[in-house]
Amino acid sequence: MKWSRSSALLLALPWILTFLLFWLFPILYSFIIGFTDQQLLVKEYQWIGLDNYRALLSDPAFIESLKNTFIFVIGTIPFTTIIALAMALMVNRQFKGRGLFRAGYFIPSITAMVVIALVFTNLYQRGGYIALLASMVGLSPPEHGLLFDSGTALYSIMAMDVWMAVGYYMLIFLAGLKSIPEELYEAAALSGAGAIRRFFSITLPMLKPVVLFILVINSIKSFQVFVEIFVMTRGKFETSTMVYFVYETGLTTRFQFGYASAAAYVLFLIIALFSVFQFILLRRRQALW
Amino acid sequence: MNTRKIILLFCLLFVLVSSATAKTTISWWQFWTDPSIKPVIREMVDEFERQNPEIEVELTDLTWANGHEKIVIAFASGTGPDVVELGSDWIAEFAVNGHLADVSEDIAGDSSDYQGWGMADYNGRIYARPWFLGTRVLYANRELLERAGYDDLFMPVNWNDLRVAARKINGLGKGIYGWGSNAPEKHRLYKKYLPFFWSAGARIFTDDEMKLCVVASERAVAALDLYKELHDSCGYVANQRGIEDAFLDGKVGLIISGDWLLKRIENEQRKINFTTGLIPGLRFPGRSFLGGEFLAVNEASKQKEAALKFVRFITSPENQVKFCVANRSANPSSRTAQQDEYFKSNDNLQTFIRQIAMAKHPPVDPNWVFIETALEEAVEETVFGSALPAEALFKARKKIDGLEK
Repeated sequence: MKWSRSSALLLALPWILTFLLFWLFPILYSFIIGFTDQQLLVKEYQWIGLDNYRALLSDPAFIESLKNTFIFVIGTIPFTTIIALAMALMVNRQFKGRGLFRAGYFIPSITAMVVIALVFTNLYQRGGYIALLASMVGLSPPEHGLLFDSGTALYSIMAMDVWMAVGYYMLIFLAGLKSIPEELYEAAALSGAGAIRRFFSITLPMLKPVVLFILVINSIKSFQVFVEIFVMTRGKFETSTMVYFVYETGLTTRFQFGYASAAAYVLFLIIALFSVFQFILLRRRQALW
Repeated sequence: MNTRKIILLFCLLFVLVSSATAKTTISWWQFWTDPSIKPVIREMVDEFERQNPEIEVELTDLTWANGHEKIVIAFASGTGPDVVELGSDWIAEFAVNGHLADVSEDIAGDSSDYQGWGMADYNGRIYARPWFLGTRVLYANRELLERAGYDDLFMPVNWNDLRVAARKINGLGKGIYGWGSNAPEKHRLYKKYLPFFWSAGARIFTDDEMKLCVVASERAVAALDLYKELHDSCGYVANQRGIEDAFLDGKVGLIISGDWLLKRIENEQRKINFTTGLIPGLRFPGRSFLGGEFLAVNEASKQKEAALKFVRFITSPENQVKFCVANRSANPSSRTAQQDEYFKSNDNLQTFIRQIAMAKHPPVDPNWVFIETALEEAVEETVFGSALPAEALFKARKKIDGLEK
């Protein structure tokens, strides 16, 4: 049977309609209302041009959320990537119980974020296991718990996030490692290259597309951090991030849709720029590698 | 008579009969879904429908997690219910945008029996009817008080009593705390500070037309000083639920909480020896935070008369008692209901009723949610940060001034 163009379109129609109605329309609509003072309960609203964007730049809450988001992104991505790669290299070797380790490392990635956040909230509280461990090694954790202190709350959430994410990225690295031809390592070994040389001259260059993929995906995910903050601190103790700011502004308090939409577009712009920057950086690196 | 005429006659009869028996349907959105109370809500609705066969009530349950969002979206999209339960601090935000029906005339006859009108009063007009009120009182672990050297009649009535008792309990040993200090929880933290703020005689705005923000007053600073002192010297820090858990486990001696804790103690059959008392004031018992649940009618409702009738029925003294008995709650808005034997026979419920009489509600202001945030930030910066009380409250005043301009 030959498929006609119209029947193909008909079959794709449910997805196209869903995309147009629930993705494209809200994206475009929120871009437009970013230039208005729309509040959900107020019946009339006005076109205010770039006022929302100007107000964002002088809003201390937004600046703080921006700062925290960058700390989160810059503080988690290198750790997640390096630890995930180390774990992938480890479980790529032949040893007894390898499957168990692979599964064990991956389990946090398939566990609901809310569950993990609640478990870690307990671990981080006063008298919790983390505080106990810290005391045992001579550190003095904050008196009321790690999440109730501006100096430790955000970093505690970041540590949890790294722990949770490494398993997923380990699996992607593992798939990348499997695709590297064994002959390259054999040839390098015959030429007298040691393990470190083999890693930097073969493994890392061959994994470049995987590294790029992980960096981009992880950046986008980290810029959008929300659930952890919502469950663990509700943005308190200097942990408010950009998506949490958008949520607070748009979906609680005064339902300031216009202002929240403008903030969401600032986040969109940052993620887009960051991704382009990563692409360019890694393309340059390719030449070096 | 030919066939066409017979059909026409039948159609006419059908229309007449249908319109004669057509019921007015009103929708009611409410938050009470607990298995102990939901059947009572249903029972009250059934009774209303029995007494008013021409009216049908469509009941929709909301949750505290996202009920506010649902109501806002429904009103904004013109699909709001005829009758809606609103928290006292939400009334102004709906009233200012013209979403609530002005019920000033409707309540004129029976306003004296009800408390809490002030919370529904926006610019001199009433936009909702008080259903239940909510306040906070002091809970004390009697056993810890006795171990700290107090007799079985003692209860802190002033700030100094509170300070000393909390310190003495805190000194009982490792793992025992004198005071339950609320973590920075949105919409909750300010309710822990306001009792001391009101008791000190502090105000948020001046009462005159100028409506100047005066949160950075000497009295407000004194209240925040005390709050910080309790936190620093003997505070067990957790969220509301965590503090109550610790109190019920016998780890914390004194906490501020609402009547839901009485219900929890009963439901979980806790063997705790506790007592309740009025919020300690400067020298004598002080003023607590006052909030409440209100029933409002949608301004866009096409069945306002039926909706108002339903609101009157649900908030009647008899139904308030029925509800409170089922929910084991202590705060009917009707003074007649408060005289019921159920409340008189229980000392803890009496504490709540007495505290309501001395409690004060926050200003009815569409900006309240931001004012509340500014106050909570002042408490956080003082208690969990390094700001001085006066400095933090001055900052709050500046934020509130900015909102009111």
